[in-house]
Amino acid sequence: MRTVKLTGQVVALAAVAGLLGLLVWRLTHESKPPRIGGPAPGFASKRVDVSGKTLDLASLRGKPVVLNFWASWCGPCKGEARTLESAWQKYKSKGVVFVGVDYHDVTGDARRFLAHHDITYPTVQDGSGAIADRYGVSAVPETYFIDRRGRLVGEHIRGTVADQKDAFFRGVEAALGS
Amino acid sequence: MILRVAALCVAALVLAGSAAAACSKPRTSLNALEGEIMCPTCHTTLDQSDSLAARRIEHRIQQLIDRCATEQQIKDDLVANFGAGILAAPPRKGFDLLAWWLPLGGVILGALAVAFGVWRWSRARGPDDEPPAQGGLDEETERRLDELLARLD
Repeated sequence: MRTVKLTGQVVALAAVAGLLGLLVWRLTHESKPPRIGGPAPGFASKRVDVSGKTLDLASLRGKPVVLNFWASWCGPCKGEARTLESAWQKYKSKGVVFVGVDYHDVTGDARRFLAHHDITYPTVQDGSGAIADRYGVSAVPETYFIDRRGRLVGEHIRGTVADQKDAFFRGVEAALGS
Repeated sequence: MILRVAALCVAALVLAGSAAAACSKPRTSLNALEGEIMCPTCHTTLDQSDSLAARRIEHRIQQLIDRCATEQQIKDDLVANFGAGILAAPPRKGFDLLAWWLPLGGVILGALAVAFGVWRWSRARGPDDEPPAQGGLDEETERRLDELLARLD
C-alpha cells in the first residue's frame, strides 16, 4: 500500500512538473514583435516568383532591405503594388532590395497577382504565417525596413505604403542611410 | 487564314481543357470540409469565418472539388500552401497522434485514479467504522461493566 501511495505521489509530482515546464516553454518561446533598432528576425523560404529557389534574409546582409507582407486576397495590397514596384525600380540601382512576403496564400494566386501587377522583386512564401509571426504582423499589408547591418530601421508601416508615401520613403532612406 | 485556324485550335483546346476540368460527380463538398479547415488569419474554422482569407480558401476548395479532387487531396493541397496548421484536427499519424491519444490516456488515468480512491476509501472505513454487533460487548466494556457491578456488590 505504501509503495502504491508513493508511486501516486511521484506521478502527480511529475505531472505538475511537466505542466510547469510546458508553461515556461510557452512563455519563453512566445514570439515578441521585434523593436525598431533591434535585429530583423531571420528567415529562409521558398520563392514564389521563381520555382525551386529559396531566399535567405541573411544572404542580403550588407544591403538595405524593404520587406513587404502581402497576400493576393488582400484588397489594400493591390492598391500598393504599383507604388512598391515603382519604388523598387527607383531604388534597386542604389543597392536596395525589395522582398515580398506572401502571407497565408495559395501559391498559384500569388503568382497570378505578381504577374498581374508586374512585380519583379523577389517574393517568398509564408503560407503558414511563421515569418509574419516573428515580425508580429497582425494584418496585411505591412512593411518593414532593414539596414545593411540587418537591423530594423525607420517607421514600421501598417496599411498600404501608397497611403503613407512619406513614411515609406523615409523608411527606405533610413535603410539606405544607416 | 492561318491566324483564324490557329485561333480556332486554341479555342478548341481551351474548351477541351475546361470540359476535362469539370467534374460530373464531385467526391466531396465544401460543406463537408468547411468545419475541418481553419481560417489562418482568424483562427476559426472556415464555416465560422467571413474573412477575405477564408473566402479565398473556400474558393480554392471549390476549385479543387470541381476538378474531382478527393477530401484528402484537397487537404494535402491546403497543407502544402498553408502548413499543417490549416487543418482543424491534427493528422492521425506520427507525432501528431499524441494529440489524439493523450486526452484519452488522461481520461483513462483519471478514471483509474478515481476508482482506486473509491476502493481505498471503502477499505479505510472497514470494520472500525461499523457499529458494534447487537447483543455482544467488547472485552474492554465487559471488563468495566464487571468492575462497576463488583463495586455495587
